[in-house]
Amino acid sequence: MKLQELTKPWMAFNYGFLDESAKREIRRRILKAIAVPGYQVPYASREVPIARGWGTGGLQVTLTLLKPTSVVKVIDQGSDDSVNASSIRKFVTRVGGAVETEDTMAATIIQSRHRIPEEKLREDQVLVLQVPNPEPLRPVQPDMSVAREMHGDADYGQLWLVLYEQLVKSGRIMQGSSYPSMVNGRHVMTPSPIPRWDVPKLNQAGHLTILSAGREKRIFAVPPYTRVEPLIFDDVPYRVEDHQDKTCYRSNVTGFFMNELPQEDGSSQYELSDSHFGVKHIRKSEAESVEIGETWYKNGRMD
Amino acid sequence: MAYVATRGGEYAIEQAERLFRADLGPITRERVDAVRTGLPYLIDRLMGEASLYEPDLAALALAQAGGDLYEAILLLRAYRTTQPRIAVADPIDQPDLLTVRRISAAFKDIPGGQILGPTLDYSHRLLQVDVLQGNDYVPEPVIPAAKPAPATQPSLTSWQKAQGLIPNHPGETVAPEEIPDLTREPLLFPAARAHKLQSLARADTGGTLALGYASMRGYSAVHPTVNELRLAYAPVRLRHPSGTIFSAGRVRVSQTEVISKVKELQLGFSATFGWNEVKVIAAATLDLASNQPNPHPAANEEFVLYHTEPIESSGFCIHFKLPHYVTFQSTPDALRRVKTDKDTAAVKPAVTEKLAPQQEEVAL
Repeated sequence: MKLQELTKPWMAFNYGFLDESAKREIRRRILKAIAVPGYQVPYASREVPIARGWGTGGLQVTLTLLKPTSVVKVIDQGSDDSVNASSIRKFVTRVGGAVETEDTMAATIIQSRHRIPEEKLREDQVLVLQVPNPEPLRPVQPDMSVAREMHGDADYGQLWLVLYEQLVKSGRIMQGSSYPSMVNGRHVMTPSPIPRWDVPKLNQAGHLTILSAGREKRIFAVPPYTRVEPLIFDDVPYRVEDHQDKTCYRSNVTGFFMNELPQEDGSSQYELSDSHFGVKHIRKSEAESVEIGETWYKNGRMD
Repeated sequence: MAYVATRGGEYAIEQAERLFRADLGPITRERVDAVRTGLPYLIDRLMGEASLYEPDLAALALAQAGGDLYEAILLLRAYRTTQPRIAVADPIDQPDLLTVRRISAAFKDIPGGQILGPTLDYSHRLLQVDVLQGNDYVPEPVIPAAKPAPATQPSLTSWQKAQGLIPNHPGETVAPEEIPDLTREPLLFPAARAHKLQSLARADTGGTLALGYASMRGYSAVHPTVNELRLAYAPVRLRHPSGTIFSAGRVRVSQTEVISKVKELQLGFSATFGWNEVKVIAAATLDLASNQPNPHPAANEEFVLYHTEPIESSGFCIHFKLPHYVTFQSTPDALRRVKTDKDTAAVKPAVTEKLAPQQEEVAL
C-alpha cells in the first residue's frame, strides 16, 4: 500500500469547511446536548470566515450536519434575503455542495437568527438557532463559573425574582425576547433571542432544535417532544406579542408575527416577519399553486 | 528616554534610537502616501484618538512610528497642542450629514432607508493568499444603483420621539465659545456631557471595546440595539468674523445611537472622527450604561473615561521601564529589616534548644 492511496487529493478547504476532528467534536457535543435537554455543553468553537456574533455557532452546527443532499434554509429575523442570511446560505452551499431553499417545508436544515418559522417543522427537519448569549442567568449572575453551579443546583430563584420585580414595577413582565424557559423540568435555558411569540413553538415540537453560541462556546438542545415551559407565575399567564390582529400590508395575512415599518408620515405599516411565508401567500393570491404548511398559530392563537 | 542605569549613557541611547529608525528605513513622501491610501481605516482610527483631523499628518505619524499606534497618537497629539484654536464650527444635525452608510438594527426599514455603503460585514473572511504568489487581487467593479441613495438622511430618533417611543428631552443651546473643550480643561466628575462625549470620541478603540464588550456581555443593566449607525462626511462650516458662513471642507465621521429598554427606551450616543464602527458602538453602549444608577464598575463613568484615555494609559504603562531604583531601594531595605527582626526573634530559642542536647552528647 502506498501513502498516496491512504490520502485524499489535496483541496483548498475540507468538505464543509471545518476539519473532520472539529466536526466530530461538535457531533459529540450535540449528542450530549440532546441527552441532557437544555444543558449548556461547552465546546471548542472554531474560527469560521464570518465575524464572531454573526452566527458562527449556528454555522458550525450547520456545517457539521451538512451532507451533499442537504437542503438548507437560512433565516435572519424571519427573512431569507437579508444580507447576513444570504451570506451564510451562500457560504454553506459553496463549501458543502448542498441545495439552497427559502421554503421552510423543503428544507432539511434550517439555520435561524431570532425566529422560528410560522409553518410547523417536521420530525425530519433540524432547526439550528444562533445564540448570542446562552446564559439565562447572566442578568443576575455575570460570572459564568458561578452560574454553572447555580444550574447544577437548579437554583433559579433569582430569575423568578427578576420576573416578579418586573411585574411589581411595570404591572407586567417586560422580558422582550430570550424568555427564560424550563426544559424538560430541569434546566432553564434561553431560547436564543426569539420573540415571546416563538417560544411556545418549541414545546413538544416534533423537530430537533440545536442552539449554538459560537462566541460563548456553548451548545444546547431541545430534543423532539420535549417540554419547554416559559417561566410564568400560576396567576399571570404567558403573553405573546400583540400581533394577532395586525395585517400584513403586502399579503393581507393576519395573525402572525409582524415587522413594524416606520413611515415618513409618522405612522407604521406591518409586514409578515416570516418573509417566505408571506411570499407563499402572495403567490397563492395570484392563483399560483403553492403548498402552505400547517402553522403553529391559527387565527393568531395557539391552542 | 534616558535609561540612567546604563553606563556610557548618551552614546548608547543615541544608538538605540538609531537602531529603531534603521529598522524602519527612510521615511519618504511615497511611503506616507502609501500608508494614507492603503490603510484608510487605520488613519481614521488614529485621527479619532488623536482628535486631529489631518490624514497626511496621521499617515506621517504612523510611518514614523512604524505602525505603533500609541506612539503615533502621541506624535499627533503633541503636534496638535501647538496649534491654535481659531474657530468653532457650526453644529451638524443628523440630516446635514452626507451619509454613505446608515443602518438601523431596531427596524427592518426606516424612513430614508437602510444604506449599506462600504462594509465587509457580510463578506467571507478568506485570505487572498494568491497575492503572495504574484497574482494581484483586483476587486470587482461596483455597479451603481439605478436610483442613487439620497446624500442626506433624516434622523430616526426624531421619528421615534414624534411617536412618543423616546422621551423628548429638550436640547441645550450653548454659544460656540461656551462649549467646554476637553483638550484645554481637565476632566472632572461628574463629567459635563460635552466632556464625556469628547472623551469617548478620543478614547482608545481597544480599551473602549473591552469595557463596552463587558457591558454588552452582561456586566451592566443595558442591552444595546443599534438604533442608527452612520458613516458620513460632515461639512465643516465656519463663521467668518464678517458674519458670512463658509465651508472649510468635510471630515469623515462615524456616529451611533444605541437604544436600550431600561425603564423606558433610552439612548446612548457616540461620535468620532473617521470611520470606526466598533469604537462608536462600544462607546455609545458605555455612554448608555454609565448613565444608569449604580452602574457596574466596568461601566462607571469615571472608571471608563480614565482608563480608556490612550495617551495617559499607554504612557503610564511604559513608564514602568524607567529606572525605579531609588524608590525600589526602600523596599528591599524594609524587607531585609523585617527578615533580620524575625530571624533574631525566632532563631535564638531554636539555637539554644538544638545546642542543648548536642552539648549533652559531647558531655557523654
